[in-house]
Amino acid sequence: MKGSGFRVQGSSSASRPAGAGIRFAMAVSLFVTLNPMLALPAAAQTAPDPPDSAEPTGPRPLAFRVAKVVSMDDRDSVVNNATVLVKGGRIEAVGPSESVEVPDGYRVVEMPEAWLVPGLVDAHNHTAGGDFNDMVYLTNPGLNTRAGIEPGNARIKRAASGGVTAVLFIPGSGTNISGFGSIVKTAGANPDEVFMRSPGSLKIAQAGNPEWYFGGVRRMFMNWNTRQTLLKARAYHRAWEAFEKGETAEKPEYDPIFDDFRGLFRGEYPLSVHTQWYQVLLTTVEQYHLGMKLWTVLDHCTFNAWKVGPIVAKTDCWTINGPRQYEFDRTARRMIGNASGWWKNGVRRLGINTDAVGFGGIPQHELSFQAAMACWYGWLPYPALRGVTQIPAEALGVHDRIGSIEAGKDADFGIWTGDPLDPRSACLITVIDGKVVHDGTKGIRRF
Amino acid sequence: MARRACCKTGIVVLAGLVAATVNGAPPEKVALTGGRIIPIVGEPIEKGTVLIERGKIVAVGKDVEVPYDARVYDVSGKVVFPGMIVVGTARGLDVANEARPVVPHLNVADAIDPSQLYFEDCLRLGITAVHVIPGNNTVIGGLGRVVRPIGMTVGEMTIAEGAFLKIAISPRLRSDRMAQMATLRETFLELDDYLDKLAEKRYEEDLKEKDKKIDVGPAEARNRGRDLIRAEDIDDKHFNLVRLTGGRVRVAGEDGPIVAKPLGAFLYCGSAMDVGHAVKTASDAGFLDRSVFVLGGECFKAVAELKKAARPVVLPPDLTHRETDPLTGKVRETFVPKRIADAGLLFALVPGPDASLAERMPNYQAARCVRAGMARDVALRAITINPAKILGLEGRLGSIEVGKDAHLVIFSGDPLDFTSVVEQVFIEGIPAYERDKDFRLKRLLSEHDPAEK
Repeated sequence: MKGSGFRVQGSSSASRPAGAGIRFAMAVSLFVTLNPMLALPAAAQTAPDPPDSAEPTGPRPLAFRVAKVVSMDDRDSVVNNATVLVKGGRIEAVGPSESVEVPDGYRVVEMPEAWLVPGLVDAHNHTAGGDFNDMVYLTNPGLNTRAGIEPGNARIKRAASGGVTAVLFIPGSGTNISGFGSIVKTAGANPDEVFMRSPGSLKIAQAGNPEWYFGGVRRMFMNWNTRQTLLKARAYHRAWEAFEKGETAEKPEYDPIFDDFRGLFRGEYPLSVHTQWYQVLLTTVEQYHLGMKLWTVLDHCTFNAWKVGPIVAKTDCWTINGPRQYEFDRTARRMIGNASGWWKNGVRRLGINTDAVGFGGIPQHELSFQAAMACWYGWLPYPALRGVTQIPAEALGVHDRIGSIEAGKDADFGIWTGDPLDPRSACLITVIDGKVVHDGTKGIRRF
Repeated sequence: MARRACCKTGIVVLAGLVAATVNGAPPEKVALTGGRIIPIVGEPIEKGTVLIERGKIVAVGKDVEVPYDARVYDVSGKVVFPGMIVVGTARGLDVANEARPVVPHLNVADAIDPSQLYFEDCLRLGITAVHVIPGNNTVIGGLGRVVRPIGMTVGEMTIAEGAFLKIAISPRLRSDRMAQMATLRETFLELDDYLDKLAEKRYEEDLKEKDKKIDVGPAEARNRGRDLIRAEDIDDKHFNLVRLTGGRVRVAGEDGPIVAKPLGAFLYCGSAMDVGHAVKTASDAGFLDRSVFVLGGECFKAVAELKKAARPVVLPPDLTHRETDPLTGKVRETFVPKRIADAGLLFALVPGPDASLAERMPNYQAARCVRAGMARDVALRAITINPAKILGLEGRLGSIEVGKDAHLVIFSGDPLDFTSVVEQVFIEGIPAYERDKDFRLKRLLSEHDPAEK
């Protein structure tokens, strides 16, 4: 797989400016080494240049006139009665309609009552491809979902109809390490069009489902075993690093099983960990984030895991909660909203996921419902909307391209009948890479 | 102090019991005045004072001067007792045993759940230290750890890292004694073989570093490589076994250097017939002098072997053993603690399984011993200083003495009185439990509909 087009970091399309990958790498390294809160403005400053003008065969530029743009940028800008210009797959301009002039040749879409919000991002998806889970060993370090991607499948088409424009497609949680995930867009005809980054993350599942593995394994064994695999992978990375730096003349043997881990230890992509319950999530944070210093995205995070909040709040972990949005707290003897529990415990890097599997469970297009439910159980609407847009984009390190409505970013957004967190609202139009990929304005059928 | 502040949060989050102590660090000096002190080591003191500074007991007696800046708790009319110790349990883990039979490389630290209700219950019952160790359905079950029932993380809870592996001599479920013993023998033989090969490998590596060719046969290479083995050369799967056998490398039947801190074993013997096998296994592999025998109901019958081994024992939770004569149908009862105490063995009482309401209280277990004729101080030692000694923590826990960690329980009356309750618990000077603020208990005991509040 070395040298394959799928492995390009942060950039998948040949038409992207050459510098974008490097800038992305810079943003990521800042993101990992500094306090990420400091790194965000830096990332914003290094936003990609306007696209190359040489795109004669590209789609016609678009102008959207809407009631409201909830931009999710760092200043939390909301633009009322706004115009958004889209050209060459990117957002060209955002601003109040009176100050944004629509150039000639643009197709103007008039939606005077609609909200334009960033494309929703799900950091926990299983529907962008055909396969779910290869349960060979308890840890399967050599696997990667890029082999199973299935652009334009029926389940992922529905994602776009719900305003979801990018997902982290990860293998299932049947084993402790089930392989690497891929960040893909929810529209596109071929792998080159849909891939944003692969590997997108290393998927670990701690406790829960892997306990069904042959013979039965529990937490003592699973934690030990997963740690062993990561330590082996780290030793492989360090051996190569020493060779590349000229510290040793002994060239390590190339091992396809562990080679993808090198990016993980270089901080190029995160560990995304299916983790829930107090003790399990605590182990994730202590073992992988504090212990091995890995960029860590906590997924699922349900049941009583929010009680680890005071510890998580002091770390750089990202917390993505869902699909369950509540638990019955036996101590307080009442229903507790997970997200609101995390928030009250001081966790601010908080988002929402669906864990869409496509055969039952939560379908991908209901990501907004999950955020709405989090609010119903006590969370706050604006952070919740941020938790399905900018937060997961930052958690996965793709916020230089997606997650907010800003000039220079990918033109990925939804045009909604109203607040996406109102379950009565619908996503009427979905735009990905500047193209309308879902149009629900012409009929009542949404997908 | 930072560590203590963390623990404070832990108490609040996990138990939600100590509303009064939410803010700020715990007081540096605490004085418990006016109570009847049962120090375990030494005679009881009427109307005495225990003074705590930074988590340690600094003075105990009748005429202790209370510093002006101490936080004073008047416990007149009540009893000050050492925090009770559970010498071994698999509670607090997600599951007692892994399915794999030989897992000496596993550590309960990977599975202790600080959020378990069990730890909150420990506070309520006056238990301040718990040795969490894998259960009996195993061959070699992994390393235990001594924790206190407060703290948000396993690190915060830890009193002492593990010093014992769990080894079962009685067969696992769906196994038999022959298989059990064969697996144990195999494990130690495989360790010998592993170390032999490792010594040979180390000798070869050493030669390679010096740019020399291999000059001797395998047997001599092992001999020479023995002293070259370092702790980091031993893989995870064998490391704790090396520690169990004395922390010493043993190659080709001869001792090499000591590379790691030795470990002991909790040897589970479910039946009397297992005791002999346990003694033999432990002495063959060289860990008998670090062994603790965990006994099943009828093991008192092997009291001669136990006496000869002269090692501490952990009694079965069900203190009375009943046996029916198959011919006459006559039921014979034996009160096990008396047999063990009469043999002069160091022993600890353990609480019963959770389903039993009374036996889960260590002081109830001690009271049953007194009721059956055991001397009061012997019974009280079996829930305090004896488990501390067995765990090698008698310098820190198990009695109210100057210099020890301030693990203290305030009983409303005598601990062996069935009507006494735990009113307050201090762990390293931290007020960890107050009965008045135990809302779960309040609900349980409330006459009102609990749903109303």
